[in-house]
Amino acid sequence: MHRDQALAIVYGAIDAVNRQQPAAQRLPKSPDAIIVGPSGRLDSLGIVNLILAIEERALDAIGEPVRLLDEGSLIDEDGPFRNVESLARLLETLSTISKKP
Amino acid sequence: MTAEQIYFVADFNVETFARLVTNTALPGSMARIAPAGPVVAALAAGAPGTDWISVVWTRPESVVQQFQRAIAFDQVDVDAALEETRDFAAATARFARSTRATFVLSWVLPPWHRGYGPLEMRPGIGIGSLVARMNLTLAEQLGGESNVFVLDPARWMASVGGRGWSEKQWYAAKSPFSAMLLEAAALDLAAAIAGIEGTSRRLVILDLDDVLWGGAVGETGWEGLKLGGHDYIGEAFVGFQRALKGLTRRGIQLAIVSKNDEATVLDALDSHPEMILRRTDFAGWRINWRDKAENVAAVLAEIGLGAESAVFIDDSAVERARVAAAVPGILVPEWPLDPTAFRETLGSLRCFDSVSLTSEDRARTAMYSAERARAASASAAASLDEWMASLEVRVSVEPLAKRNLERAAQLFNKTNQMNLSTRRLTADELMRWSDEEMRTVLTLRVADRFGDSGLTGMIGIERSGTAAVLVDFLLSCRVMGRGVERTMLHVAVAQARALGATELRAEYQPTARNRPCLEFFRSAGLRYDGDRTFGWDLTLPFEKPAYVAVVGDGSPALTQWM
Repeated sequence: MHRDQALAIVYGAIDAVNRQQPAAQRLPKSPDAIIVGPSGRLDSLGIVNLILAIEERALDAIGEPVRLLDEGSLIDEDGPFRNVESLARLLETLSTISKKP
Repeated sequence: MTAEQIYFVADFNVETFARLVTNTALPGSMARIAPAGPVVAALAAGAPGTDWISVVWTRPESVVQQFQRAIAFDQVDVDAALEETRDFAAATARFARSTRATFVLSWVLPPWHRGYGPLEMRPGIGIGSLVARMNLTLAEQLGGESNVFVLDPARWMASVGGRGWSEKQWYAAKSPFSAMLLEAAALDLAAAIAGIEGTSRRLVILDLDDVLWGGAVGETGWEGLKLGGHDYIGEAFVGFQRALKGLTRRGIQLAIVSKNDEATVLDALDSHPEMILRRTDFAGWRINWRDKAENVAAVLAEIGLGAESAVFIDDSAVERARVAAAVPGILVPEWPLDPTAFRETLGSLRCFDSVSLTSEDRARTAMYSAERARAASASAAASLDEWMASLEVRVSVEPLAKRNLERAAQLFNKTNQMNLSTRRLTADELMRWSDEEMRTVLTLRVADRFGDSGLTGMIGIERSGTAAVLVDFLLSCRVMGRGVERTMLHVAVAQARALGATELRAEYQPTARNRPCLEFFRSAGLRYDGDRTFGWDLTLPFEKPAYVAVVGDGSPALTQWM
């Protein structure tokens, strides 16, 4: 999976999670949108739902499960869930690993 | 409509569902979730208030202990499981009495569950068999509760193609259901609540060529249409017509707006041997070459419904866009080009939900057909008075009671134009209001020589000091203009006199749709006291039209004054 495809998957998941959010709390579809951190708009349930929505879409895209959800990353402000771009990068990496024979 | 308040009682993390309901399906609504703990405790504690709508969603293993044994493949006492189900239903019914309405979700098994394989539906063994019986027991036990509705998540599970159940969601967030399933559930819940509020759609306005049949009837005549026969596309049009006919049996009306020649179309409806929908299945039509938006507005005016009650179906994207833009409030669904998808597209619309089904609903098409005959007789009559007298209108009055409550509540919540206060109450709330001392709700059935229009009028009166306040005065648009309005005032005055009041007061509450009610009260001869309030001195009777016969409820008090 290349970066653009990963980003598109994350954006699709953001659309799904935003339907659960009040209008003022919706996550922007932009690479620098914060996911984990004090200025993030999602609470822990919102983040879990986002990650699961990404996993679901990634499965559809590449036909292989990709395991993104990680308890530690859910609270790590410098971790791979910190913003949309880092999350897309993680998805790109893990999807490549999962496709390796 | 005030913002909905929804109370969620669940034995799993229902937060995502509540968020989808309040932020997408019913924006502006307010949610509260019962404190964590056993569901039976939350049910025993009751809802936050009787104006709250509640949702009770459980997993079978948490409320039926025998089911825990079942999923562990242990031997199960089926009778004990059903007894536990009845106990849960009883607790839910008690809880529901503290709510405006309660939605109870039936139980589902995960799609990956194979249970006992070929023995899964064998009574006494299969888990699938057990859960089916538990669900049936739950539905039967709650069937008598007028404000409880059982929703079936199995449909949502099927609609999301095996993605409805998420083990990861369960382990990570303590919800067994995926967000995808919860979205479908939230939309269905909103549709069901619209049914309670009386805001569901009640009319489908249809284009004809390539919608009801394949081809252009004006080009080929009915003999050349693709409809039925040994052709899958022709069969798809028949299937779609059957689905539409089914809607009419639920009280949803059909109408036609088509750019065509009227005589050619009516000939096709009457003559094609495989036509399912005949002329009498349509409440109205505009078949001409004028602008469709203009014709849609004319049909709505003729049938007496607002655009927010209607759905417009057309195969042309241009016509859909035109009607959607020119008729605000109308629902114009995207429509597929492939006729084999028509029935599915219609069936997927979440806009026809109703919380009751009455004999009036089933007979509504016949009533509109009678209305056309009535209108034809009006054109033939020499004068309006002569026509009115020829109708032989009969109005039967009876108090609100269990036998007429369902239809009365439906009328109460759907009537917009001739409606003095436009209150919205569920069946239970209406009965509770009526049961209070010094209050009376009367229902009125209207019939004439063309047919029985059923329960179409209601009057609610409250005694306040020496006055009787006419709180509710509502009449279906189907029977407006036949002298029934004046007859209702006659009955209201008689009832107020029977209550011992000396004056009748009526306060008009304006809405976007009830101006006809104001016009009637202004023209009825009542005293206008200012501030939208009308009065009548109860030392005087209020005369009904001579050509309307009133049949009382037999109570001496009311009969004396009528």
